[in-house]
Amino acid sequence: MIQLYHVSKLYPPHTPALTDINLQLAKGEFVFLTGASGAGKTTLLKLLFREEEPTEGQILVDGNNITRLNSRAIAGLRQKIGLVFQEFKLLPRLTAIENVALAAEVVGLSKRESHAKAYHLLRELGLKEKYQARPQTLSGGEQQRVAIARALINDPILILADEPTGNLDAQLADETMRLFFKIREKGATVIVASHDVELISRYGSRIVSLRRGQLTDDLRRVREGASH
Amino acid sequence: MNGAQLAFIGRRVRNSLWHLLWSHLLTSVAMAMTLFVFGALMLLQHNLQGWLKGWGDEIQINAYLDKSVDALGAERLLDQIRAFPEVERVRYISQRQAWQDFRAALGTQATVLEGLPEDVLPASFEIWIKPAFREGPLVEQLAGRVRAQSGVASVEYPQEWVERLALVVLAVKWAKWIIAGVLFVVTFFIVGSTVRLAILARKDEIEIMQLVGAPEEMIQAPFVLEGMIQGLAGALASIVCLWSLFQVLRLQMAGAAALFGPMSSLQFLDPASLAVILAIGWILGATGSLFSLRRFMKTWRG
Repeated sequence: MIQLYHVSKLYPPHTPALTDINLQLAKGEFVFLTGASGAGKTTLLKLLFREEEPTEGQILVDGNNITRLNSRAIAGLRQKIGLVFQEFKLLPRLTAIENVALAAEVVGLSKRESHAKAYHLLRELGLKEKYQARPQTLSGGEQQRVAIARALINDPILILADEPTGNLDAQLADETMRLFFKIREKGATVIVASHDVELISRYGSRIVSLRRGQLTDDLRRVREGASH
Repeated sequence: MNGAQLAFIGRRVRNSLWHLLWSHLLTSVAMAMTLFVFGALMLLQHNLQGWLKGWGDEIQINAYLDKSVDALGAERLLDQIRAFPEVERVRYISQRQAWQDFRAALGTQATVLEGLPEDVLPASFEIWIKPAFREGPLVEQLAGRVRAQSGVASVEYPQEWVERLALVVLAVKWAKWIIAGVLFVVTFFIVGSTVRLAILARKDEIEIMQLVGAPEEMIQAPFVLEGMIQGLAGALASIVCLWSLFQVLRLQMAGAAALFGPMSSLQFLDPASLAVILAIGWILGATGSLFSLRRFMKTWRG
């Protein structure tokens, strides 16, 4: 599903963010990307959704080399990826349903279809009563669920989450993680970048550790997250 | 791009026009002012050209006869001039006819002529030239030959004025492009600034659209459309203002018809010229926003 071969990323003038990363992820796999701040987790995610281009190496997503892409191909790639961020990235002037539907509308679904799909997802994520609310009136956990619904609306094959529980308390963090496992059960590959060791130890199935831009550990645990 | 995406772009344009209404209005006003100046110069050039053409069509030589030429001599001279290949027709105006014409032209003020002898004005020939010979040097050549005829005291023709007017038309034509060119550049940057404001106001939205895989053209199209709408609105407003100015001028000139003669009949811009104004507004709006969009989004992405 995802293959990284000797991937390095150097920020100008000479700051290495990632050095010689080799990694393979299977379809439907749930992976935690961990490491201290500045370890290169976010950079690795950015390479996967092509916000950044690797300086060296090759990256394959679903069999396609995404190392060098034009803007049209990048848009095409991102339509297959669901992104979740620590700061939610919701538009305050749009309602919850509009925030979710936006992602479907830009890829060509009609307003009616997008809203129907968004409503269905929000209901599934327990936000049936809040679909008309604006983000600023929602709790952190609710906002994160709206962001997750937006990431799911185009039926992605890959979910990338960058510190998705960073702004949530322990209970909401647990809820969010359970959601990610549910998503994984639908067949999507899920990569969660987090430095929350306690959370990872509870849920981690495969844990890829980074330190100063280098891959230091790739642990696979027997107790897969399916039990959660 | 499918119908749903086009509808989405339409909704974004509508929302942006509404949210940044004042900024869009100001840009359209700036655009209208620029195109008004351009259109006014175009209108001036258009009318000057019309008058020039009218004068050219009516170009004639007036040959005044010596007082010693009697009716028979005038008849003979008329035949000689008619025989010139450049001459279309010739009209003989006797001293009496000239006096009557002059009195008629003065109208109620003809009393000033009382006491003057009726033969104070010379007899003359009005000579019309064939279209093929209405070019400057040919007219001058013909005038010289008429002047050389015995019995002809003097010759007058408006060629010099026609040439001067042609120079004025040329000057207006150049001034139009130079002045308008400067204004176009200024307007181009004003449009760019408005688009930059619109981009800043929707920076988060654009970022999210990029992250969820919106095609580049879908992100950029609304801004370009906004620029086009501003341009077209400005162009339409400038045409309305030009039309109003034209109506005022036409009324003023009609009141002074006796003074200005054929120049009092003003013509508004033809459909092709109006299309040029609309096209310039449209292109200025589109390119101004596209330029700003490319530049700003490039800077923003690093």
